[in-house]
Amino acid sequence: MNDFSELEAELKKLRPRPVASELAARIEQGLSEAAGRGIATAGVLPKRRSFRPNWIALGLGLAAAATFLLLARVNVDKPSSKSAGLALITPAPVAPVARVDDSFVPSALTQVVYDTKDEGLHFTQGADQPVRRLRSRKRETMHWNNPQTGASLSVSYPAEEVTLLPVSGQ
Amino acid sequence: MENVVTHEDWKVCFSELAPGLVLFARQFVRTSADAEDIVQDAFVRFWRKEHSIENRGLLYATVRSVALDLLRRDIRRARREAVASLDMEQTTEPQFDFDDGSQRELAVALDLLPVEQREVLVMKIWSELTFAEIGAALEISQNTAASRYRYALASLKKNFVAHE
Repeated sequence: MNDFSELEAELKKLRPRPVASELAARIEQGLSEAAGRGIATAGVLPKRRSFRPNWIALGLGLAAAATFLLLARVNVDKPSSKSAGLALITPAPVAPVARVDDSFVPSALTQVVYDTKDEGLHFTQGADQPVRRLRSRKRETMHWNNPQTGASLSVSYPAEEVTLLPVSGQ
Repeated sequence: MENVVTHEDWKVCFSELAPGLVLFARQFVRTSADAEDIVQDAFVRFWRKEHSIENRGLLYATVRSVALDLLRRDIRRARREAVASLDMEQTTEPQFDFDDGSQRELAVALDLLPVEQREVLVMKIWSELTFAEIGAALEISQNTAASRYRYALASLKKNFVAHE
């Protein structure tokens, strides 16, 4: 026995106000967007679960990896001899290696000294006489080219060099 | 069993459930626009999780969860809604269409109910959920849901008669 049946009937006569017509459209759009992102939609909309590679990201990644490998190899082959001069030095290009294959070979090294500082006399450990320490800052540019394809590559970087000059007693 | 429904099924389900869902969401926010935003978010979230449309308790729980998330996300908004909710319990009319003054009085009496009783009443009367479904939606036992429903009707009857 329900004492509230009459009240329940009265309540059911109250009609909730109709929902805005655009709400259904908004939900439909939300479901479509969810389907476009490959999110499950309870079968309301077709699921798109196919694999789609991001070609731009993939290409950039491969290019970055190739550049890294190239530079890593070039650094290994970098010539160790450096000029100790303090003036603008532009040595003659290094003769390309006779070996001709499809790879980059060093072709030139340019050193531009833009600052030199005399740091005074110093006594190095175990030395009989003092030395004058000169610190020079420069920019080195290395060039490579590919004899096979004609492609060239340049890398420029700042460098610092300390030169110890023996001081004569006179 | 896979829950595959057609596009038209979705529209039919929504047209049947939307008024009750919006009315339920309206218990947490002041404006119908906010309630509709909650229902939109909840309905999309519900379908994306591939729940069965038969699980109405879970659907209402999703609406409730979205509404509470909304309130938690913005503290300032929550404070505003709390103030609005208090204000609404005393002065704001519910979202009903009235045929006569008696129905308006009944709606006013409905607004005087505590929120926990009113949300049970809304789900029971206008969405015809079972007490088990209501309990699932509110994370309470069905006995508690039934108890709140009876308290709500008793209070409503008392207040409604008093207004008559």
